[in-house]
Amino acid sequence: MATRERKAPKTWSLLGDVKRRPSVYEVTASQFAYHFRREPAPFEMSPDAPINEWYLTHREGSVFNVDDWEGYRDPAKLTYSDYVMLQHDRETYLDGLIDHHESASSVESLSPEWVSTLTNAVVPLRFPLHIMQMTALYVAQMAPTAFIINASNFQAADEMRRVQRLAYLTKWLANAHGESIASTDAARAAWEKGEAWQPMRKALEELLGVYDWGEAFAALDLVIKPAIDSLLGDSLAALAAENDDELLALLLAEFHRDAERSKDWTAELVRYAVANNPALAEVLSTWVAAWTPAADALVSSYATLLPGADTAAVVTAAAKARADLLAASGL
Amino acid sequence: MPRLPRSEWYDLTRDMNWDLSYITEDEAFPPQLSNSFGVPAHDWWAWDEPYKITYSEYVHNQAGKDAGVYSVNNVLNRSDIWDNLEPGWRAAVIAHYGAIAVAEYQAGIGEARMARFGRAAAWRNMATFGTLDETRHGQLQTYIPYQALAKEPKFDWAHKAYHTNEWGVIAARHLFDDMFLANDAVSMAIQLTFTFETGFTNLQFLGMAADAMKAGDFDFGALISSIQTDEARHAQQGEPTIKVLTKAGKADVAQDLLDRMFWRAWKLFALLTGFSMDYYTPLENRTHSFKEFMDEFINKQFIDQFRDFGLEKPWYWDQLLNEMNWTHHAYHLGVYFWRPTVWWNPVAGVGPAEREWLEEKYPGWNASFGKYWDTMGQNVRDGHPELTLPETFPVVCNSCQLPVCTPAGYAAGYLESPLPYVVEYNGRKYTFCSEPCKWVFEMQPETFAGHLSIIDRLLSGWIQPPDIPGALAYMGLSPEECGVDGTDYDWAGPVPPATKSA
Repeated sequence: MATRERKAPKTWSLLGDVKRRPSVYEVTASQFAYHFRREPAPFEMSPDAPINEWYLTHREGSVFNVDDWEGYRDPAKLTYSDYVMLQHDRETYLDGLIDHHESASSVESLSPEWVSTLTNAVVPLRFPLHIMQMTALYVAQMAPTAFIINASNFQAADEMRRVQRLAYLTKWLANAHGESIASTDAARAAWEKGEAWQPMRKALEELLGVYDWGEAFAALDLVIKPAIDSLLGDSLAALAAENDDELLALLLAEFHRDAERSKDWTAELVRYAVANNPALAEVLSTWVAAWTPAADALVSSYATLLPGADTAAVVTAAAKARADLLAASGL
Repeated sequence: MPRLPRSEWYDLTRDMNWDLSYITEDEAFPPQLSNSFGVPAHDWWAWDEPYKITYSEYVHNQAGKDAGVYSVNNVLNRSDIWDNLEPGWRAAVIAHYGAIAVAEYQAGIGEARMARFGRAAAWRNMATFGTLDETRHGQLQTYIPYQALAKEPKFDWAHKAYHTNEWGVIAARHLFDDMFLANDAVSMAIQLTFTFETGFTNLQFLGMAADAMKAGDFDFGALISSIQTDEARHAQQGEPTIKVLTKAGKADVAQDLLDRMFWRAWKLFALLTGFSMDYYTPLENRTHSFKEFMDEFINKQFIDQFRDFGLEKPWYWDQLLNEMNWTHHAYHLGVYFWRPTVWWNPVAGVGPAEREWLEEKYPGWNASFGKYWDTMGQNVRDGHPELTLPETFPVVCNSCQLPVCTPAGYAAGYLESPLPYVVEYNGRKYTFCSEPCKWVFEMQPETFAGHLSIIDRLLSGWIQPPDIPGALAYMGLSPEECGVDGTDYDWAGPVPPATKSA
């Protein structure tokens, strides 16, 4: 038969005549977003159907574009399988961490003052973290290549991971220090009406309304998320350690590993984009500048929920986190 | 393990519903991406998934499942199992990977749409797992054929198919874009997860896994069963969505979404699963006919599920039952005849024993569809295989994008007229294979009217030259990729030597 007479191919035909055999990471993502710049429209329906126009406007039509996105690689090079294997190990570690602190009754022995701080500053966090999950999934569904889609999807899953461990901690706190700590109404009221939360809520709700995929990426991954990750990974973690809450400090340190992975793929995406289209440096800088006041506002406002923390230090840490990321991105 | 049982803290992982203040509901959930169908925001907060799982459980379970599938593949890929499988089964597997692998990855984009634009936090979490699941399915179903590329160059289509305009791929894109990739979150929960995954794929994957094991394709069997366990979980996003709609007095919305997609799913199913079950799967490995499968798993079991939610059988039920007798036989005949236009090597599957089985399962088959095969078999035996190949094009339905087979249905005695259904809309003529396909179009003309079927493209001058070689090139099929008879005409009996490999 004809099929048996052909020379064995080295890789997918669409990858062309490659010199190096592509990795598993590459062959299970390359050119999967076949609908990007497809003619006459991304999807197999009327070219002017509303969803085609949505993608043509917010993805193909975004100023954040280069000739070829398929050359981008997430530095972590995670396939789905790699991701679940990695997080299976990390979750096993967290299970062990919680076992240890349950045996030691760590949460039960926290001071009333610190429990109050946790109630005010940690328990409602599941709301903003969930919005960051949502936004990462928007960036993913709009991204022009599977190499970005996958990285952003895994980031969204990491946000869910963080929400769920904090939910566990919330219930544990409630069992030890009063059921009201786990009240949905109380957490929602803090999120919707608590003064200190409003700059964060405003920034994240406005972020939900950003539909240009490039701006959504820049606002979330270069500005808003690094600010919130700094609040948790730098300032809250340090305060937890000062208040003898080793469990929370270590939980936050673990989440910080996920945040670092986000920064790595973000910085690499910026470098890749600018290398391929130098005009994007200014585009990205403009978006960063536009979202920075919102980030600064949410940081200084959230700092008021952390009694004993030096507000200036909280602000400085967040500013440094952003500056470091921008520097790593080459902006 | 942590002491608190999941049930004690699970609600705190999914209660993140709040009232927006800084942007409007429509700004956060634009109707193009999330049609609320008028259900108030707070009503959606009652959305309650039947299947509970945490992130931690997810990564622990999935790491184990992935390790299992990859290790089976690692061992079997070094064996000669693939080469020893029956040609029909190989054709079914090659067709499956091309039509499904990259499509499943796109379902991940659809799931991400629900995970962003679903109208309750609980739903968004379930869809986040769905996003991961479909990423898994897209990657597994490209990885496994990729590993076997050296043995089977046609596996290239597991990756390439969706970049082409091969007619079956156009039909698959047209369906899947409507169902998930280009659908809004609420409609998708009914149309992808309930109608398609619960109604069709969940059951099909169970059936295919069993058939794969019987056919000796343990690699494919392990893959499909592992995928099915994910589907069974994330398919459960449909039920709570139906419940919210029904409680808000919108059962008619759910019914309409279901009816439209059930028909559309049926058509693709009749094509791919129809020929796989009744013609490609080796006779000794068949457990049931396609019609029996449809009757038992879809028409009975799935209908019971509709009824549990207060939904009813679609209005076209009698037409579905009618089509189950003949449509997939016509599609199979068409795919075989137009075999250069597909990326797998179709088998006829109509040797004497197979025909006996077909006659038993579909009384009257020999006198209707059998006659076409009699003629083709005679042409082959006479040394004229070229007469079993096409020189012209079929008419294609402007809804399902599959060939219009009404003449075959009429000739077999199942239709009252051989004519297709025709609609004029904004000065253009549209052709449909069936009344429900026409209805699907008429329900959303703005979504479909601007689309050109492959035959419209031929007539519009998109395909040059407008003949079979021009069409094959347009479809991305090089001469060596075009399908040929998968058994080298063994089915036709003694054949002149020159006919072989023609």
